[in-house]
Amino acid sequence: MASFLGHSAALIAALAVLPQLVGEFWAYTLALYFLYAIASLGIGLCWGQAGFLPLGQAMFFGLAAYLSGLSLIHFKDSWLLLLLLPGAALAPGLLAYGIGLLVFRGRTLSGPFFAMITLALTLLAFQIANSWNDVTGGFNGLKNIPGLPGLSDFTDLYYISAVALAVCLLGIAWLRRAPAGVVWRAVAQNEQRVRFCGFALQNVKAAVFGLSGVLAGIGGALYAPQQNLVTPQLCGFLLSADLVIWAAVGGRATLYGPVVGAVLIGILTADLRDEISYWEVILAAIFIIVVLYFRQGLMGFVEPRFERLWRRRTERTLDSPARPEASGDTGLADAGFALDDVRVRMGSVNILEGLDLEIDRPGIYCLIGPNGAGKTSCFNAMTGELPVRSGHIRIFGRARTGTAADLLSRIGVGRKFQAPSLFPDLTVAENFNIGLWGGRARLRDLVRMGSHGWSSAILREAQSRFPFLAEEDRRAGDLSHGQRQILELVMVLIAEPRLLLLDEPSAGLSQAETQEVIEAIRWVGGRLNACTVIVEHDMTFVRELADRIFVLHQGRLLASGTVAEIQADERVRAVYVGASA
Amino acid sequence: MTGNSGGPLFSFSGVTGGYGATTVVRSVGGEVSAGEACCVLGRNGVGKTTLMRLLTGHLPLQSGSVSFDGQPLDGLPPDRRHALGLIYCPQERPVFDNLSVRENLTLMAPAIDEGRYAAFFAAFPILESRMTQSAGTLSGGERKILSFVRAVAESGQLLLLDEPSEGVQQENVERMAGFLHEAKAAGRALLIVEQNLAFALGIADRVIVMDHGEVVLAGAAADMTEETLAAHMHV
Amino acid sequence: MDPILTTNILNVVYEVSTLAVVVLGLAVVFGLLGVMNLAHGEFVMIGAYCAFFVQAQNLPFLAAVPLALLVCAVLGLVVERLLVRPLYARPFDTLLATWGLSMLLREAVEAVYGRAFRSVATPLTGSVDVFGADYPSYRLLLTVVSIALVAGLVWWFVRSATGRRIRAVVNNPELAGSVGIPVTGLARNTFVFGCCLAALAGVMLAPLLPVNPTLGLDFILKSFFVLVVGGLGSLVGLISGSGVIGGVESVVSAFLDRTYGYTTVLIIAILFLWLRPNGLFPRT
Repeated sequence: MASFLGHSAALIAALAVLPQLVGEFWAYTLALYFLYAIASLGIGLCWGQAGFLPLGQAMFFGLAAYLSGLSLIHFKDSWLLLLLLPGAALAPGLLAYGIGLLVFRGRTLSGPFFAMITLALTLLAFQIANSWNDVTGGFNGLKNIPGLPGLSDFTDLYYISAVALAVCLLGIAWLRRAPAGVVWRAVAQNEQRVRFCGFALQNVKAAVFGLSGVLAGIGGALYAPQQNLVTPQLCGFLLSADLVIWAAVGGRATLYGPVVGAVLIGILTADLRDEISYWEVILAAIFIIVVLYFRQGLMGFVEPRFERLWRRRTERTLDSPARPEASGDTGLADAGFALDDVRVRMGSVNILEGLDLEIDRPGIYCLIGPNGAGKTSCFNAMTGELPVRSGHIRIFGRARTGTAADLLSRIGVGRKFQAPSLFPDLTVAENFNIGLWGGRARLRDLVRMGSHGWSSAILREAQSRFPFLAEEDRRAGDLSHGQRQILELVMVLIAEPRLLLLDEPSAGLSQAETQEVIEAIRWVGGRLNACTVIVEHDMTFVRELADRIFVLHQGRLLASGTVAEIQADERVRAVYVGASA
Repeated sequence: MTGNSGGPLFSFSGVTGGYGATTVVRSVGGEVSAGEACCVLGRNGVGKTTLMRLLTGHLPLQSGSVSFDGQPLDGLPPDRRHALGLIYCPQERPVFDNLSVRENLTLMAPAIDEGRYAAFFAAFPILESRMTQSAGTLSGGERKILSFVRAVAESGQLLLLDEPSEGVQQENVERMAGFLHEAKAAGRALLIVEQNLAFALGIADRVIVMDHGEVVLAGAAADMTEETLAAHMHV
Repeated sequence: MDPILTTNILNVVYEVSTLAVVVLGLAVVFGLLGVMNLAHGEFVMIGAYCAFFVQAQNLPFLAAVPLALLVCAVLGLVVERLLVRPLYARPFDTLLATWGLSMLLREAVEAVYGRAFRSVATPLTGSVDVFGADYPSYRLLLTVVSIALVAGLVWWFVRSATGRRIRAVVNNPELAGSVGIPVTGLARNTFVFGCCLAALAGVMLAPLLPVNPTLGLDFILKSFFVLVVGGLGSLVGLISGSGVIGGVESVVSAFLDRTYGYTTVLIIAILFLWLRPNGLFPRT
């Protein structure tokens, strides 16, 4: 907190004295690039934090500029401006949020699809601005827009921009360090794990995109009164491209990168465009080189050093709130799940062909079967990852066929994947926090620094069981394979699920590590009184843990029973003889 | 036979690797000489397929070395290894599903050479009857047979087969074994990953048993009893 | 038949077939390399400028074809080596890098020729009577050439050994290397081939377009929409995607105006992304 205040004071002081240092003309020029910088900060959020790239951000900038320009023209000196101008800044945010919800609802849209849709939308925005003469003034744009009432000279305009920039920067600095920022960076690294920790992914991404729309909106809304002119180019792809270049060259993942990029390149461009005829070409080449070799950008070399000075991990002093009970929970009577004649098909291959499986009480259950028997597909169908063609799935007594993973996680279904699925670039502490926040944190918890200090009894027990988990400042990606398997397991456990799906938890582990995992599963199964289902090939593992075994073969349940019963079962032996002795 | 005789045709040592930062196979070594078959055994998920992908250049080695005919293969892409004579049949997706059976067999040759395939078509008539159908319409076992035929009919000196018998009917498994014995007799070297113990022991001269990514047992097949091996593998 | 209807039908066929040529290059590269080349449209633009250049030098129009192929082949080789291959395992960065490349090419052409719209004279003037409609000869020729080109390429893709190998790599890249297909070289040649196809389209379309540096943008977006609608699975998808996008745009543009045409196409693409993200003919 103290470091945040110090940081704020330094930023405000620097922005306040700048006009005295550079003179009035440059202050005015800077003011324009500050507005662009605010919009570029939005790119930093989407691309540098949450990992998806908007290529059409200028449409939000332009929209706000038109709204603000029209408001100023039609309601000059009216008190209504007090509502209309903030409205002009917020409207693009709402639009962006809506677009985000729509586009991110599909599955694979983070990469090229999202970028291309936004690029297409910005071209459409340009077309509309260019051809809707009655409202936008067409090609010539809105002219003679009055300035903000009461502000006249260049220095005033500078201070307006500077204040807006400072407010936005400080707001973002806060959010980046708050739990919300951790969740964003988690999204960039592993969307699947974020969903399985109980976060509605499309809402998180749409919110980030909406926020970036607000930032572009603030820049655009102030642009109109400052420049007194709004043309269709403000919605165009050239400005959209510039915003991305600035964020990339300045450093998309850093706080100040987009600002440094916008101001530095903006001013260089203003200065050099007429002198060097190939300036824009050089700029594009610089962008390509940054993409290829210097992904962290200019501030990537500087900022991390400072960040390390302020950043100190919050001690875990607060117990996390209890999980909110999902509606319709009726306690242990509905502890398990049932699959009824479930069929799943991928392409021309039938993966599950009428699978029936029912588990109705807490305990440890193992799913075994030869390769391709449908074990992992069974988990995928249960967690909504594979479309079910026919049949029914009930979990805790309610119909859950096709229910999305994030909702399942919130009602108490935890899943561990075969290859460790976590957030390698986040610290161990941050990985735990995602597990703790998912399903528990409300919106206000996500903007509060105090939520970094959440803890839980399960977490403390896990840390005393596995001492390496107490070294919370380590990068999760630096842990060994076995340690990552255990970290993911604990991430799932601290959400306190009542149904635990574990896909080959011992894969790739040494004998000693396997033994530790066996003990951890036994401990937690009893501790949570959960229903634990394990896909496993290692028969030692199965023998030690399983209360009951289910054998899958060719997408159906072949047999079920105790370890002894299964070992004596002729049908099971026959299946295995097909593939082995 | 080409190159320097005396040493094994194919040898690897200290092979370590996996996916990304994850190590699946740890320091595995072995060798196969001309006219000899080596079987890699172990239950599911112990790293056998990963080992094959490391040996064939589909995954980068984290450490260790692989050499063929006395020549190191470090960093060679799969197609260059194929040109040297390493013929590989992967366990999963062993054929091109979107190409016809004929196209699968003639992908790298202009026309189907009847003589080359006659014996195979006689043993597996299903292939000849399905020549113009896309390989995606074949059953899992039939795809394995197609992949097996493609590989064995090629002229390369070393065959690397990843679970060739998986999903294949017993009588066809026996025919496969027959072709593999012929290949051995012709001086070719075989490295085979298997789960089917009877099939494996019928062909193998040497055996490597893996568990948790490491070699837990290795030696001449004649010295191994089925009980010892089964103890390392299954139920 | 009503001449106006005939003209409109011919316009739709023209739009769809020329679009299919552009998309074919993009789709083959995407299918084989998994690289969405956002600079694909700029290769069309460069092709068009080659036609303009040739005409300014008073050379015959057809001289633009070898020139455009040469320029874009060399450019394609350099780009593949410097941008595409090093980023093979980083598809998102490839997208960014080719997007940077599209800016670079656009700005470079702008620095040389400026932003002004250039026009290229039609090599074949006059018009032909088609079922009573008076249709411009060059457009008709272009339609025929485009259909022949697409059909020829599809035939080659299905029947030739190289086409078979490309399909093999698309289907199963890992196995392709194992059976001895030189995947890296094939990828390079395919990329260059895609660039050349775009350049050829640019030359052919130059007389009918306002030639300017931002011309490529329109093509890359439309091509992308075609892939969204048609799916990445097959040639049938590619052609039906071209049919939907090119057809809808030319029909709506003819009855309303270009903005509506563009808006309709965009809405269709978004609906597809939302409701049918794998397109009409998904890759299995």
